[in-house]
Formats: sequence, structure tokens, C-alpha cells
Amino acid sequence: MADVIASTHPKKEDDSLLDPDFMTRLEQLEIVSRKIHASRQKGERRSRRKGESAEFADYRNYVRGDDLRHIDWNVYARLDRLFLKLFLEEEDLNVSVLVDVSKSMDSGEPSKALYAKRVAAAMAYIALCNYDRVTLCAYHENIVGFQQGLRGRRMMPQVVKFLDEIPIEGKSHFAVAARQFALRQTQKGVVLLLSDFMDKGGFEAGFRYLLGRQMDIYALQILSPQEVEPDLTGDLRLVDVEDEDVAEITVSKLLLDKYKANLQAYCESIRQYCTQRGVSYYLAITKHPFETLVLNYLRQRGLVR
Amino acid sequence: MNFLSLQSLLIASALAIPALLLLYFLKLRRQERKISSTLLWKKAVQDLQVNAPFQKLRKNLLLFLQLLILAAVLFSLGNPVANMTKTSERNIVLLIDRSGSMKTIEEDGQTRLDLAKNTAIDFVQGLKGDAKAMVIGFADRADVICSFTDDVRRLVRRIEGIEPTDGPSLIGEALQLAVAYSTKIATGGEGWAPGSVETADIELFSDGRIADAAEEYVTRGKMTYYRTGLAADNAGIVTFDVRRELEQPGVVSVFAQIQNFGPGPITSDVSLELDGRMLSVQEVNLGPASLATTRPTDLSLAENPDALPSSQNVIFKLPNEAGGVVGVKLHREDALALDNLVTAPIDPPRAIRVLAVSDRSKILFWLKRAFVTSMEIEDYTEMSTSEYEKADTADLSVEGRSAFDLIVLDNHDTDRLWPGNYIFFGGLPKIEGIERGENVDEQYFVNWRESHPLLRYVPLDEKVYVIKWKRLKLPDHALKLVEGQDSTVMAFISDPGHRYVISAFDLMESNFRWQPAFFIFLQNAVMYLATGGLTDTGRLVAPGDTITLPVPPGAEEATIRRPDGSTDEIDVKNRTTATYAKTRQCGLYKATFDDAKDTTESYAVNILDPTESLIAPNNQFTIGADEVKTVTGEIKANRPLWPYAVGIALVFLIFEWWVYNRRVMI
Repeated sequence: MADVIASTHPKKEDDSLLDPDFMTRLEQLEIVSRKIHASRQKGERRSRRKGESAEFADYRNYVRGDDLRHIDWNVYARLDRLFLKLFLEEEDLNVSVLVDVSKSMDSGEPSKALYAKRVAAAMAYIALCNYDRVTLCAYHENIVGFQQGLRGRRMMPQVVKFLDEIPIEGKSHFAVAARQFALRQTQKGVVLLLSDFMDKGGFEAGFRYLLGRQMDIYALQILSPQEVEPDLTGDLRLVDVEDEDVAEITVSKLLLDKYKANLQAYCESIRQYCTQRGVSYYLAITKHPFETLVLNYLRQRGLVR
Repeated sequence: MNFLSLQSLLIASALAIPALLLLYFLKLRRQERKISSTLLWKKAVQDLQVNAPFQKLRKNLLLFLQLLILAAVLFSLGNPVANMTKTSERNIVLLIDRSGSMKTIEEDGQTRLDLAKNTAIDFVQGLKGDAKAMVIGFADRADVICSFTDDVRRLVRRIEGIEPTDGPSLIGEALQLAVAYSTKIATGGEGWAPGSVETADIELFSDGRIADAAEEYVTRGKMTYYRTGLAADNAGIVTFDVRRELEQPGVVSVFAQIQNFGPGPITSDVSLELDGRMLSVQEVNLGPASLATTRPTDLSLAENPDALPSSQNVIFKLPNEAGGVVGVKLHREDALALDNLVTAPIDPPRAIRVLAVSDRSKILFWLKRAFVTSMEIEDYTEMSTSEYEKADTADLSVEGRSAFDLIVLDNHDTDRLWPGNYIFFGGLPKIEGIERGENVDEQYFVNWRESHPLLRYVPLDEKVYVIKWKRLKLPDHALKLVEGQDSTVMAFISDPGHRYVISAFDLMESNFRWQPAFFIFLQNAVMYLATGGLTDTGRLVAPGDTITLPVPPGAEEATIRRPDGSTDEIDVKNRTTATYAKTRQCGLYKATFDDAKDTTESYAVNILDPTESLIAPNNQFTIGADEVKTVTGEIKANRPLWPYAVGIALVFLIFEWWVYNRRVMI
């Protein structure tokens, strides 16, 4: 049986967080936000505001003080009245990626942490390619790494460097980390949450902090195959890698069935909570290639297009 | 409460306790495993504990199995039995034959006694709880091996301790003991009360070859005969005697009769040994035993009768001047080795001493003519009756025995009787049980024992007449040699150490003294009494018989060295004879008085019993006139079930182990 993978962040794999072919395919995607957020900078996404793009939006009556450059002189010639020609405004999108880097993510074969980093890198790359503003945030008990204001694909090495250098350690405390993140990230936008949600403090409080900021939240629960189908036998003393908590079990079919039922119920409870609050929930098992996850699964489920 | 199966209890404990401990240790040893989170596992364990009302039982199928194991073990402790036969609830007397024939070795290497003991043990183990049993072992004598008890373990232990003997099978005493003890137990020891006695049943474990079976009968209770053994192949020496020739004292004649008791003809060597050295060998060819003496069902013998006789006599002539131990050995491997060797001590030759005691010269004349002139006996002494009564003890006795080989007393009663041989003509030995009565006139001899060694070739026909004689009162064991119409004329009495020939008539009242019959009679008497074989002198006895030792004057202690090397000591102070009865083992017994080497006397105990040598078990056993119910083969006694219960417990244990491992492997 495979024990918990001891390696936290193997160096040699960092370079291959995303391979070039895959990146090329990622360039064709963009992150979908179900909401239209106001932003500060011009970008490639339609804004609620009227602006200066090439796309016509509407006419309105001239009022004193309007910019004379926007008057449609052709309409003035026909109707002898002043109308302003309005165009759609395009702004950028805030894409925040929250990665759980607690010790529990360091388990499974393949490792959940590596899987989460790869997904984070892929999503960040998609966002950067679309000139979205990317914020990366790593947390366990609190936020242990925070990088914001990344824009444009030239920022990709920074993204990789950030993800590479984040150590996998500590107890996870999603509520604390979410509160800190909400305080730091005041702008609205898309939040992609990557975690196994194996948090004894519960997941609801954390979601509430994020929802309070009216963010468009996508939650991706990452589980290892060993968590879904435990290959345990005999009388065991199970030790929690995060808090050294102990559970003594005698493995039986009954117990395994119960565990699987509990796991399913737990995942279902997260999904239900998310659905009721407009949060998109995805479940990823690390035995599936993450490329398939990004290119197919998330695309089908509408996170990217 | 009786722990009838303490052994099973110990076995069960030895099985169950280590097994439980093993399981205990296995359950404790948990392997440590690191996992991402115990969140869901703890919940699962809690759910299992909370949600299942029978969780404790369901969780522990192992516990269930352990309970079953324990139940099986406890069941075995109750000593359950399967009622395969209806066991009598009455009291039981077990008679176990331990005679010489039970030493027969059967096909599986066990002796017949071992088989009988095993059968008896099977029987007592099937006894119901409140039934009592006693065990009597019998051969020539019967001994209570275990008195009435319901303690099966004690019975089994005592039965296992029964040792074989070389003695003949005599059931009479055993039956008497059985009746006596069962009467006692039935009446609570208060004596026999008619009508209220429930006597015990008798179970006989034997090969059915019992010498006195026809003379005995079962007075109370039922008898069942458990036939033991199958072997029939045996040949043995059934008759044996050693004597010195009267004419040639330096030559010893050794006589043995070899008989085949087996179903097939045999050819074997018979050797003569002196002090362990083989001197001579003869071959014997014997046909199968005749139909009457083998198994009645074996009819094949009748179709193929063999021309050879089943018995053959062997005579060896052995020049011997020094004495020693002579033996005859049958060189054959058969089922019973006991009867293949006989031994006997022989003494160096010595001159025969005869004493004639009479006050009448006519009688002395004829006696002297007979002994000196006719038989050429050199050491012949004459005494008057008064000289005999006044003679020193030293003149008449040597080392407690009579100094003469034969003493002839004419018309004289005496009590000076050292162990020896006496002929009384008209007189009587003053011993208990012999009295003289009134005269008997004008009668003639009606019957005389021509086959007796004393009267062999003695022509007591019309030429011999007796005018009158005295009517004699004789002890029961007296052998009547010559009988008149209603009284005894001549008798032979053999007491330990003493042999008397008593003639009721005075020689002067008869023409016997000058008849040839008189000379032949005296010659027979010298040969039979004075130079008699060992059997006649009481030095060759059957197992269980009493050896009578003549005690030298002044001797205080006799030491008997038995054939197995052990010794017994007998106090013989102020006695003229001593007896020794522990002769159940065949072989040579040597008696020494006061540790003096020169006073050693040897006695030979040999089986010499055709009843014991006939080892083919008796299919139909008859006691008295009643045929006894016979049980053959394995006894279907109540079988204990505890081994099965322990077996079931073991199966459960293995099943539990499998379940445990299966659960681990999921």
C-alpha cells in the first residue's frame, strides 16, 4: 500500500507544472464569470459601464458638459438635434486562485498538493492570457503566500515561482484564511478555491467570508484515490498528519462501507451548500489527469470556455 | 460432583487459554498508519458504534465464535457419553483372568491380558454414574483388585495395574469373592437378608480356558463372558519329570511330553540343558491339535486330519554325578512362550537308606530279604520299636528331614515323624485324622489301583489273602490304594513333607509277606518314595502351589530367592517345616537357611498345564451346566463425547482464525 507521499514539492516537477503543448491549448480558453464586475483598468471584458470600445451600444441626448467628440454628427444633420453615440466599455477581470497548502494536501498518489498547484497554474495562465488580473493566495492556518496584480502572460514565470516556493505544511483552517483573504482582496471577481476541505473547523464559515464580498466563487475539492478507496487492512492506528489525532480501527467491510458513505455524504454536503449559495462546486480525484480536468471537465461544467 | 475427566479439563484448558491469549495479543497489536485526516474515519467508527443496537455482538463475530468454542469446551467438561448400549445400572463385578495363558501375545503385539484390561477399561468407562463396580483378578487364586466403587478413574487405574501371573485359571474362588462382596454391598454390609438382595452382575474378561469352569456355578446375578484374544498357535511342554535310575544312580532320566495346541502341524527342536548349557537336541514332529481341544468352529481340521499325533514324549538320559539345574526347552516362536521352557533342580546321587522297625524277627527276615537280598540296598538298618522311640534325634533326622529315605514300621504307632516316607504295616502314624476302628473279618479285596506307581505290577489276586484287618478312619485327602467290601485295606496319604503308606492289616495276619507281590510292592515303594522324581518329592510344583521347606534344626530364618532375583524372608524359628506360597512366577526358587550356602534347596515352578497351553480362546463358555452369554470383538460401551466436543472447538477456532484473517484482508 502506498503510504502518504513524503515529498512535498519535488523540484524537478516544478518545471513541468505546465508543459508547453498544454499551455498552447490553454491559451484558447478563458475563465467565465457569471457576473459582470466593475474594474479599474481597461481590459478585454465587457463592463457595465459605457466606454470607448469599438462596439456600439446606444444613443442618448446630449447634456451640457458631454464630450463633443462623442456627438453623432450624422444624426444632428438629419434631425437637427444633438445625440451622443455610446460604445460598450471593456475592462479586465479579477481572478483569484486560493490554494490549500496544508499538510493534508501532501498525501495521496498522485499528490493532491501538486495537483492543486497544477490546476492553479493552469487557471492562472488562462487568466493571464486573457489579460485578467490574477491574484494567487496560498493558505493553511492563515495566508502564507499572497501575490496580486499579475497581468499578461509574461507574468507566468512569477506564477510558477510563487507556486513552487510555497511549502506544504501546517493545519488547515479555511475560515481564518478566507477572512484574511476577504480583507485583503476588496475587488470583486472570480475566486477559484482549491482544497480537499479536510478541515475539522468546517467549511461553511470560510465560504461565508468569501460570499460576503460578492465574489464569483468556484470550489474545486481535490481528493486522492486513497481517500476515495482506502486500501487499508487489519487493526490500525490511524494518525492524522496535521494534528496527530488518532483513530483506532479494525478494518472491516462494514467500516469501509461506512467510511465511503460518510465521504460521499461529506462531499455532497459541500456541494449542496455551494449550490444553494451560487457557488460552483467540482470534485477532482487526482488519479484523473489534470489536463483532462481542465480541458474537458471544467469546460463542460462552464468554468472555462 | 465428580470430575470424571480431569484429563479432558486439562487438555481443554491447555487448548483454550493459549488460543484466547493469542487472539488477545493479535487484537492489541495495531499497526500505525498516517493518513491525511481522521475526520471521516472517526465519524465512521462513531456511526458504527451508535447506529447498531447489536453492535457489540455484530462487531464481534469473533466473540461469537469464542463463545461457541467455550461452549464446546464446557460441554466436554461435562463428560458426555453416547448411549450406544444400555448400560446396567446394577452393580458389576469384573473378573479379569490373569493366568498364564493370558500372557499369550496376539497379532498386534499386545498380550491377551492387555486386551482384556483394555476391554474392561472400556466397560467401566461406560458405567452409569451411580453404578458401582469391583474388580477381581484371578489365576490360581483370586484377589480383589478394587473393591466396590463408582470412581471410574480409580477402577481404571487399578485395572491398568493388574500384573500377569504364570498360574492356572481357577474361577471358583473369584466367584465366591464376587458373591460375598456383592451381597455385602447390596445389604449395606449388614449381612445377607433373603429377598432384599440385588446381587451384582458378573463380567468375565478371559480367553475362556478355565480349568474348574465345569465344577463351579454362578449362584446369583448374570454372567457375561467377554472373549479375549484370537491366537491359537502354541506348542508347549505339558509333562516333565526328572529322576535318577535306581540301578544307575549316576544317570538322570529326563522325561518331557510336548503337545501341539495349534491348528497346524509343527516341527521343532527340543533341547536338554544342564545349568544353562545345551547338552542334547531331539526333533519332534507334531500334528495339529485334535478337534476337541481347538476351536469348535474350526471344521477345516476335520476335513484334513493329520496322521501325526498332537503330542510326543521325549526322554533324555543324562549322566550326572554333581547335580545342577536341568531344563528342557522347546525351540519355537509361538504365541505363548511361557510353556516352552521347564526347569528342575537335581541332586547328586546318594545311597538309599532304609530303616525297618519291628519287634518280630519273622517280619524283619522278610523285609531284609526284600531290601538287601533282592534290591541290594546297602544302607539297610533294623531297629526294634523301643530302640526307635529312644533313638537320638540326630540318628533319625538330618537337617530337619528324616535321615532315611524310607522307614518301614511293623505293628507300631509313633509320633516320631520327621519329613520323609513311611510305610506302616498294622501300625498308624500319630497324626490328626487317623484312627483305628474295629476288626474287619472274612472280607476280600474288592478293588485296588493297579495304575498307581505303588501297586504297578503288584498281583493282588486270589493268591494274596488277609485274615482280618482294622477299619480305619482316614483324612479326606487319603488315597485308597486297596479296598475291601466296605473298608479300606491300604491307603496313601501325602502331607506336606510327609508321605505315608498305611496298611490296615498286620503282616502276620496275611500271606502277603512271602508272596512275590510283597517284593514288587516294596520295590515300587523304594522307587516311588525313596528315589521318587521331583514331582513326587514336592520340589517341582505348579505356579501358585505351596512349597514346603523342611527346616534344619536350629535354623531361624529362611531366605527365598525368586526367579526374578528378588528375595523373601520367612521366619522358621522352632519349626520343622515352613511353607512358601508366592510361587506365581515360573522358574527356580532357591531357599537358604540363615545365609548358609550349604543348606540351599532348589524348587522348580513350571506351568505344565495343558489347560493354560491351550490358548485358542473358548467361543462358548460354560460354567457349571449353564452356557454364559458371550461377547466378542470390540465392546460397544458408552463412548465419551468430550474428544468430539474438543474437536468441534478446534474447528471453531480454525474458523475464527479464518474469519479474522478474512476481515483483515477486506
